[in-house]
Amino acid sequence: MIRKIIPQILMAGVLAGSAGTALAHTPLCACYDNGDGTVLCEGGFFDGSSAAGVRIHVNDTDGNIVIDAQMDENSEFTFEMPDGKYSVMLDAGEGHRVEITADDIY
Amino acid sequence: MKKLLAATALSAFALAAPAMAHFQLVYGPDMNVRKPVQMPLKLIFWHPFENGHAMDMGQPEEFFYVLKGKKTDISDSLRPITFQGANNESAAFEGVLPVKRNGDYIVGLVPAPYYEGSEDIYIQQITKTFVNKGGAPTGWNEPVGMKTEFVPLNKPYNVIAGSTFSARLLSGGKPVVGAEVEVEYLAAEPDMEANAPSEVTARPMPGGALVACTDENGVFTFGIPKAGFWGFAALGSGPDTEHAGKELSQDAVIWIKAFDLE
Repeated sequence: MIRKIIPQILMAGVLAGSAGTALAHTPLCACYDNGDGTVLCEGGFFDGSSAAGVRIHVNDTDGNIVIDAQMDENSEFTFEMPDGKYSVMLDAGEGHRVEITADDIY
Repeated sequence: MKKLLAATALSAFALAAPAMAHFQLVYGPDMNVRKPVQMPLKLIFWHPFENGHAMDMGQPEEFFYVLKGKKTDISDSLRPITFQGANNESAAFEGVLPVKRNGDYIVGLVPAPYYEGSEDIYIQQITKTFVNKGGAPTGWNEPVGMKTEFVPLNKPYNVIAGSTFSARLLSGGKPVVGAEVEVEYLAAEPDMEANAPSEVTARPMPGGALVACTDENGVFTFGIPKAGFWGFAALGSGPDTEHAGKELSQDAVIWIKAFDLE
């Protein structure tokens, strides 16, 4: 099973590399504690393009998705801080995910 | 012997003289940051390539940053400091750039005109530098409406040493054709605590100032041979030509940072 998966991952990497724009299309995300119980996240890509409409979700420590949403037209998303520890993932698809842990929320 | 000494002294003077280029510095050690930071910046009027004479600055006319097209005045953050140059002290300033959101912070300084007694003119070097947060490019290649400015054609905060840097020179928003652009390496980066030059890592070249000229589109290109900070200055490119009854050289200055590819 593992053997089967590895070539698929490698193939995905090759495809991403051969796509050319894929490297420049690395997503980036930063989140800020607004100090009022909410968190603002802003997203984008290294080539400067917007992440409007890209999926963003908030996970608890068990990996369960507690908030599932999309970046707004300004490439931003604000959410109510959940109880306990959490992380945020900007999810633009396979090979284009970036995770923000609680330690990286300012 | 006397003749030899005199000749040596003369030739030394002749060699040193053409290298003397005034450069307004707006300096922070890091142009690329990941986390929000209140970033101190040093404003020093200096001869950075030769770690040379430093000039007294007056209270700046403007100190601001532009993020995503929005200009924010940060002149309230300025406080005077004394820069301990290698050979003399000078009046300089320290300001604070508040970096929070991702993007290109284009920092602008309009210093007070400086009276240069040896030339009997005023010099005003309108200076631009950059800080990027989070790797998000948001306008480094756009003009920010300075009277005269360089607009980069290569991303200015991660130039690879050994590659080239190009920029378009504007005056009143229009390209400046055939302008001489002086080039300097920041040979001794300022120590942020001591307000003094740190280790000297380069010396000026023989043959005087390094110069590149802008083409018919106002664009110059310069190969960047070494990692560190590089400054470019167009002398007299600005629209204002007179201050306090004397000639004014209103210059555009830009700073970039180059890295070794490792």
